[in-house]
Amino acid sequence: MNLVLVGLNHCSAPVAVRERVAFPRAKLGEATCELLGAAKLAEAAIVSTCNRVEIYTLAADAEQAGPALRRYLHTYHKLTEPLDGYLYERHNRDCIAHLMNVVCGLDSMVLGETEILGQVKDAYAAAQLAGATGAALNRLFQKAFAAAKHIRSTTAITRGSTSVANVAVELAEKIFRDLTQSTVMVIGTGTMSEATAKALRSRGAGTLLVCGRDREKSGTLAAQLGGRAIHYDDWPVEFSKVDIVISATASPHPIVTREKLIPLMKARHNRPLFLIDIGVPRDIETGCDELENVYLYNMDDMQQIAKDNLAVRKREINICRELIAERVTRLAEWLEERYQ
Amino acid sequence: MDRYCFWMALLFYVAASALTHRRLRSGRAVASLHHINVMLMVAGFLLQLAGLVLRGMNLQRCPLTNLFEMQMFIAWALVLFYLLIGPSYRVSFLGAFTAPMVTVLMLTGLVAPIDKPHMPALKHSPWIEFHAGIGILACGALALAFVVAAMDFVQDRQLKSHHPGPTFRLLPAVEQLDVIGVRLLKLGVALLTIGMLGGIISETVVGAWPWPKVVWAWATWLVYAALLAARTVGNWHGRRAAVATMAAFVFLLTAYWGMSWLAR
Repeated sequence: MNLVLVGLNHCSAPVAVRERVAFPRAKLGEATCELLGAAKLAEAAIVSTCNRVEIYTLAADAEQAGPALRRYLHTYHKLTEPLDGYLYERHNRDCIAHLMNVVCGLDSMVLGETEILGQVKDAYAAAQLAGATGAALNRLFQKAFAAAKHIRSTTAITRGSTSVANVAVELAEKIFRDLTQSTVMVIGTGTMSEATAKALRSRGAGTLLVCGRDREKSGTLAAQLGGRAIHYDDWPVEFSKVDIVISATASPHPIVTREKLIPLMKARHNRPLFLIDIGVPRDIETGCDELENVYLYNMDDMQQIAKDNLAVRKREINICRELIAERVTRLAEWLEERYQ
Repeated sequence: MDRYCFWMALLFYVAASALTHRRLRSGRAVASLHHINVMLMVAGFLLQLAGLVLRGMNLQRCPLTNLFEMQMFIAWALVLFYLLIGPSYRVSFLGAFTAPMVTVLMLTGLVAPIDKPHMPALKHSPWIEFHAGIGILACGALALAFVVAAMDFVQDRQLKSHHPGPTFRLLPAVEQLDVIGVRLLKLGVALLTIGMLGGIISETVVGAWPWPKVVWAWATWLVYAALLAARTVGNWHGRRAAVATMAAFVFLLTAYWGMSWLAR
């Protein structure tokens, strides 16, 4: 008996191919059962996310299982063009190492991301529910989850955020005691400010105010994020109640200056204020950062933090691989003893 | 025998400080390390308590007769408030900052030649023991306020630098530290006030206190009352509040050591 993996991911296939071979979440169990019958496999599990589709199986003959899995992908998705150039195949030890790398986020588009662990857990649960897993795959997945837990707690592979929006959230969480009690104001709508506001909202940020010259645009964004739209000229009136400001206007001059901020800080009893300046040219005068309890971050600052965090994660790759290698050896030995 | 207990307690606090150093370097919030840190602090606290009880039994009174005993008591009160406050606020890394502070207080107390029999100027009275005991507990709360202010200062600096270091993720939010700092100050000032009242009442029983001690006690109380007013009514938050809280505690220690040396 051999472990056989056939799949494709964001490195081997473009999104146009990935979306055609993706399995709907609700149909994972049904598809796995169909696969067991079609390819004559002992065990199987399908992992399908936006960045990867992978089929993990236990088969009597590895040489036959590979082509059978490729055929199954073609048949199930009714593809007319060949997939061979996009697919990769891994056997036994390499298959174990691959899954462990995947669940630890080492094979992800964003190195060290943790969402993939939940997605693989869901895929495993679907296969288990469909009765498609047995001793080998159960052990493979459980050992992979244990490896991910160990690596996440002992290395820095998941440390820090690697996107600008999440860096902003991370900073806000180190300024404010409770994000649910904070008020966020978005001045000027744009992709980046929207992403940052969304990220803050997803972490429970309380009230959201959207302020822009284009009333329709700010109204739409406010409705989308469950906030309130205010007129551009009214932002100084609301400012004293605000804790986090995301500014992304096209103004050629700074709209928030040190002189304007001093009385506003007094009005808000000198409570901490987080200013996120995404505008180019900058919307917030750099001198504002010198004021006590004012924390001003611009795009460059946040991009640099994201870059530093990614560098820290990259430095951890070798440590993670060493930790994984030990576990791969132990599991491969167990499989050999049991099935050969 | 009591000194052995203090030395052993110090060993646990040194171990907790070493663990802190490791956690700071790694920048990882490992739950198991946090639990080990708390256990080491609890072990140190119990040994220190045993030392204080043994010394009290020998003296047949509250062990607050010389500078050494007072220093051991302050360190013990600091750990007591850490153990009470830490879990209720779930302040990550409070123990990590408390352990080195306790280590310094204990080590200087044990190494310096300050453990000498000292006959207090005033005759023995339960009111004096009440005054001293509550005063020392106040010092413990204010020492923890110093620790929290130090954490606040470090976190504020990291946020202002725009290049947060490894401790950034381990420390709580500046706003949370600010709230805890104010609550500790309120507790400390309340205890100081009760201790002062105990001191005033004791005068009617055992006679007037030496005037340098009276001046020091009032000066300390005024400094802390002013600081509390600034942080609550005056809207002092962040770095200024943290620096003022640390400076107030340095003043308290300097005045307390100075007065104790003068009394010798």
